Amino acid sequence: MTMGELLASGLAAVFNPGMFFMVCVAIVLGTVFGALPGVSATMAVALGLTFTYTMEPIPAIVFLTAIYCSSITGGSITAILFKIPGVPSSAPTTFDGYPMAQRGEAGKALGVALLASAFGGLVSAIAMFLLSRPLTAAALQFGPSDLFAVTFMGLSILTCLDSEHILTCIISGLLGLLLACVGQDKMYAVQRLTFGSRELLAGIDMIPVLIGLFAVTEVFKQTNPNKKRLTAEDGVTGGRVNTKMPSLKEIWGIKWTMIRCSVVGTVVGILPGAGATIASFLCYTMETKLSKHPEKFGTGIIDGIASSEASNNAATGGAMVPLLSLGIPGGNAAAVMMSALTLKGVQLGPLLLTNQPTYLSATFMSMIVTNILMVIVAMGIAKVFAQILAIPYSYLGPIILMLALIGTYGDQMSATSVQIMVLAGVLGLVVRACHLNSAAIVLGLVLGNMCEQNFSRGYLMSKGSIPAMFSPTAHPIAFVLIIVCILLLVSPAVMPLIKKAKAKK
Amino acid sequence: MFELIVNILLFIFLGFTFFTHVLEAAVPAKVTKNPYALQPDVWPKTIIILLEICLIINIIQIIRRNKGNPEFTLAAFAKSIPGFLKSRLFLGIVIMVGASLLLETLGFIVTSLLILFLYGMLLGEKNIPRLAIASVCITLVLYIVFSGMLSVNLPRGTIGFLRSFALFLESVVGAVKGIF
Repeated sequence: MTMGELLASGLAAVFNPGMFFMVCVAIVLGTVFGALPGVSATMAVALGLTFTYTMEPIPAIVFLTAIYCSSITGGSITAILFKIPGVPSSAPTTFDGYPMAQRGEAGKALGVALLASAFGGLVSAIAMFLLSRPLTAAALQFGPSDLFAVTFMGLSILTCLDSEHILTCIISGLLGLLLACVGQDKMYAVQRLTFGSRELLAGIDMIPVLIGLFAVTEVFKQTNPNKKRLTAEDGVTGGRVNTKMPSLKEIWGIKWTMIRCSVVGTVVGILPGAGATIASFLCYTMETKLSKHPEKFGTGIIDGIASSEASNNAATGGAMVPLLSLGIPGGNAAAVMMSALTLKGVQLGPLLLTNQPTYLSATFMSMIVTNILMVIVAMGIAKVFAQILAIPYSYLGPIILMLALIGTYGDQMSATSVQIMVLAGVLGLVVRACHLNSAAIVLGLVLGNMCEQNFSRGYLMSKGSIPAMFSPTAHPIAFVLIIVCILLLVSPAVMPLIKKAKAKK
Repeated sequence: MFELIVNILLFIFLGFTFFTHVLEAAVPAKVTKNPYALQPDVWPKTIIILLEICLIINIIQIIRRNKGNPEFTLAAFAKSIPGFLKSRLFLGIVIMVGASLLLETLGFIVTSLLILFLYGMLLGEKNIPRLAIASVCITLVLYIVFSGMLSVNLPRGTIGFLRSFALFLESVVGAVKGIF
């Protein structure tokens, strides 16, 4: 089947009123699932699967793909409004989204998040359609050393999260990396740092720490000043939340951010084991380094939101590339998608294009349609969510705590997770008082396991030689990436010195 | 002073961890005998060493920064403790710690009611009857949405009548779901 025929079959499969309606329903469900803390993209697809038992394969594929894409987008809504990342990959969205919502620009932040998500999704869908085979082949060339270098690049954000407190940011990041070591070592299953606790054997889960450090700490912080109702400064004017959308000029201003992050997000999504969370942190780092005004990142600028959202949505599309062409899921949510598609009779792998081309084109086209419709449908949902900000804080604060509790408990079905969440909430207060950085702790925790595992594997494969792991001849990708990482890590310390020297001259 | 105390405590705790808890089980012989394998303690130990170095630098910086500051004394820190223990923030922490410890015993419904009501009062809500009604309604909505509709297994509690009530509520939601 030629590309043109494939495209035509995709259009025929998706472009009819019934299918459009179904995509809209799936977007509503996916966005709401994604926005609810504790209901991850993985869980959203699993929940969506129950609706498809009686469907024909193509409508089922379209429905599930729409849920999968929109659930990642939904995660940004609560991240911006309540500082609760609906999905872990939305954590960097809180850095700039929440300050914007607090400043009265909730609508603008949500608008940017949705547009960037849609853009990222579209780029990855097109990449999936055009470059599925070569991209997968290229991704399979990535060995443990290269994956370590990619993850390490994500960690290089540590030196620029707070330019006034670089040392405390590094301490926070190292604390996060250490927390990721708790439990059984992933390579040899040796028990570490559990202090005899059985509950910690499986390690410290990311969700309770994330929700605790961001959402619970925020409510604790609001407890003392007795913040009763959000004011005009907080985005509420005359009892209504400011839902003013971003202007075309503002969107045009972040075009390169969206393009860069969509491309990088797609590539990271294709890498096995990486996924949307790493993509969003990595792209946020990248944009901080590339920006002309890095000091504004984290204070509430649309560039920060666009980088995180474009990349995490692009990664969802990217994860579909190895899934469809090789039958290898790129992450947890992609693994559930794989089971769902297999259940519907899709033969994932190299023969998909030969035996079931319509299924491939339907998946591609549904991603395109979902990402376009999502901007309109999810915006309506976001506006409804934004109105929640007008609720008096004496009601909203406890509701946020309850959502945090449900999200944490629902993830592992364990009260220990809730206790860790509360502990993380208290830790967030200590972190604040000591000028440490919550985002850096989360970053370390998210990237820690992948960093250690890939380093360990790379070390083993290069026969215990670190220079061989990053040799320019054997591992050129790792070599280049590590050089870039070193430059990125050193630049915040060196650049001011260079500027000083220039000024003296 | 609080920042300095936290840094010193963290330094001591990490030192203790380095020597006692990095490895808590025997490493398999095939790993120890493999000269190319990265031993499971290397990564965490490296992180702890880096942390200890950073903490020493940070402690020195904190002391230098606060040289001559009259508030930077243990006595001044000790004086601020009673104020914190009487603050709303401390009460809020107590409510959440209590709720997390009692969640499985009391179950979701009672825990939710307690958090919504007590924390609402703590945040300054004066209209108690309205807060009580809102707490009940919000709890029911959350329970129906998450447990009934999204099949999230929320704790039912271990106390007999509370568990029976949760099961009753689930059966009602199940019956309504069955109709639709």
